[in-house]
Amino acid sequence: MNRRVSRRDFLHLAGTLGGSTAVYRAAMGIGLLPVAARAARPLLTASGKSRKVLVLGAGISGLTAAYELSKRGYEVQVLEASFRAGGRNMTVRHGSRIDETGYPQVCNFDDDPDLYFNCGPARIPGHHVKLLGYCKELEVELEPFINDNRNAWVQDDAMFGGKPIRAREYLSDTRGFVAELMAKSINKEAISGPMTPDDWDRLREYLKQFGELDPQFRYIGTSRAGLARHDYTAPEVLKAPLSPSELLKSKFMLIMSFGETDDQAAMMMEPVGGMDRVVAGFMRKIGPLVQLESQVQRIRVLPQGVEVTYRRDGQYVTTKADYVLNCIPMHLLAGIEHNFPAEYVAGFTAIPRGKLFKIGFQMKERFWEREGIYGGISWTLQDIQQIWYPAHGIHRKKGVVLGAYTFDAVAGEKFARLPPAERFKLAIAQGAKIHPDYASHVESGVSIAWHQMNHMLGCAAQWDDALFKQWFAKLQAPVGNHYLIGDQVSYHPGWQEGAIASAHHAIADIDARVAAAGTQVVRS
Amino acid sequence: MKKLLAACAAIVVLSLLADSARAGNSFDYCLLCHGANGNGNYGIRAPKISGMETWYLARQLGNFASGARGTPADDAAGHEMGPVGVRLERENIVDDAVRFIASLEPRRPSATVKGDVARGRKLYAACTACHGTKGEGNATLQAPALAARSDWYLVTQLHNYQRGLRGADERDAYGAQMRAVAATLPDDQAVNDVVAFINSL
Repeated sequence: MNRRVSRRDFLHLAGTLGGSTAVYRAAMGIGLLPVAARAARPLLTASGKSRKVLVLGAGISGLTAAYELSKRGYEVQVLEASFRAGGRNMTVRHGSRIDETGYPQVCNFDDDPDLYFNCGPARIPGHHVKLLGYCKELEVELEPFINDNRNAWVQDDAMFGGKPIRAREYLSDTRGFVAELMAKSINKEAISGPMTPDDWDRLREYLKQFGELDPQFRYIGTSRAGLARHDYTAPEVLKAPLSPSELLKSKFMLIMSFGETDDQAAMMMEPVGGMDRVVAGFMRKIGPLVQLESQVQRIRVLPQGVEVTYRRDGQYVTTKADYVLNCIPMHLLAGIEHNFPAEYVAGFTAIPRGKLFKIGFQMKERFWEREGIYGGISWTLQDIQQIWYPAHGIHRKKGVVLGAYTFDAVAGEKFARLPPAERFKLAIAQGAKIHPDYASHVESGVSIAWHQMNHMLGCAAQWDDALFKQWFAKLQAPVGNHYLIGDQVSYHPGWQEGAIASAHHAIADIDARVAAAGTQVVRS
Repeated sequence: MKKLLAACAAIVVLSLLADSARAGNSFDYCLLCHGANGNGNYGIRAPKISGMETWYLARQLGNFASGARGTPADDAAGHEMGPVGVRLERENIVDDAVRFIASLEPRRPSATVKGDVARGRKLYAACTACHGTKGEGNATLQAPALAARSDWYLVTQLHNYQRGLRGADERDAYGAQMRAVAATLPDDQAVNDVVAFINSL
């Protein structure tokens, strides 16, 4: 029961994200302006000379802010608690350390450029212009990412006795069924509203195309569902349509449009060699500004500037800056000593933390390609929820498959409480319902329980409309010279584009304040 | 040039040592969840650990390591702590962790639980024998201090005892004792009341 509500929550979330993107776009004036006129980043005009900025956290928002402000002459230092930069932008490959509280792991994949796993963000849509702008500027090479593959599988114990079917079968046969039903039941005389009886024929024609109905408006199968055989020396044979009542038993209907949403529809991209190439790109520019293994313990907003105390090598170090940009996750910030106003701090604990969970498996053979699957996602209503197949390294011997990616907290916690070996066992047992000989291909695995990962202890902040209304403006506004940033302070949490947008928002505000202060100095 | 190379080598060695020191013996991870100076973080439901008795800390870490605590399906916070206990025991550094926690500066957490202090005072009578009239604890009886702890955590734990999420494992004898006492609190309000009274100590 709990599970079902959680999945629904996810879909609600997907809808909310679509909606908020629409709001965001409207706010940006997009839709009125040609796409190319959109500013991918703010224009900073003031000089940052002799001004010090501390950035807390070397995630994507922190790196963005540090990069932009250092270009304007600010003296920038980035304090990062972890042994690595990137935050949730994290790719593991041969020898990578996975710093999970209680269950530290080392990635045992073979040393090979195609054998990596994106633990956090893994795909970029074409309208994420800010991130794509940095990819271009930082020379991060991109390649297509396949989200939607009609040849991938759909599996649900609730339909066909748990036997997987191709995604194209589910989508085409349900559409055919719905189209036939509608075509049969629309009464020409009863048509009303914006349509007139004259539209009836056009509507029926649309339904015919929508479901690929025959001239009598019957659904008798379609090549969209895949042919029964691909022997091109003999006539084509359609697959018999699957039972609609069986298809409708599956809650896959709640996920079936995933690859059509604003952020997930083709064409998607990923950096060649792993999402952390974005981090590497930033680090090539500002690496020396980033100090790792420095865990912030206290923040004091001063009448002018901000004082920060952190621990490094077991010692406390205190430093001051004119401005602080802080992307420490709010749920961790709640445990840091500070002198923030109470109504600001209350927001830190009001937004629940995400508990997303992922598994990556190195497979000794790319067996999915023998099943006609090249990239994309198979969906299941089991805990693992999805299996991703790499679109890079096609026809090579091995590949890294995503073996679990849970959205709901119940499934995330279920995996997270197990030791890694047990997590793999569970994911393999579930994956075997899609690929019967799944277990025999697994060579090694990695698991990422985001709410147990050190220096994160959570995935994307779980905002909803009520929380946005109550807290967003308060948390986005600076307290003195302290700015909270990160995807957590954006209307697009869980996406790097949201992280960058929040950094841009903060640095534009700092720029305006510095510019104004500069003008005052000249006048006096 | 030779001197420079030697200096560089020394720096490399030092930084390697520093790396291993940070990776192996750093208990800063405790502060990640439990907040600066271990004074607790409600944001991730991690209680204040600073100022806890060393014998109590060691026992609880042992319980987490053995699975006597933190394993029931409904104890999400316990699941997060469980593997940490396992890791500390496996690396044989439970005592070091306890020593680190003892070095932290405890602060009195702000009160978050609302309840009837007068009613709580009456209910607390059942607690005094072990935990003391001022909530100061009793090492002989292995009863930890209750005053100046994270109050929301006291509420959670009383509920956990009542629901069998803590103290139900036969290896946790003290927990079983506490479970029996927690069962005498008739309702949620009583739990809040007794914690509100503890806040006044």
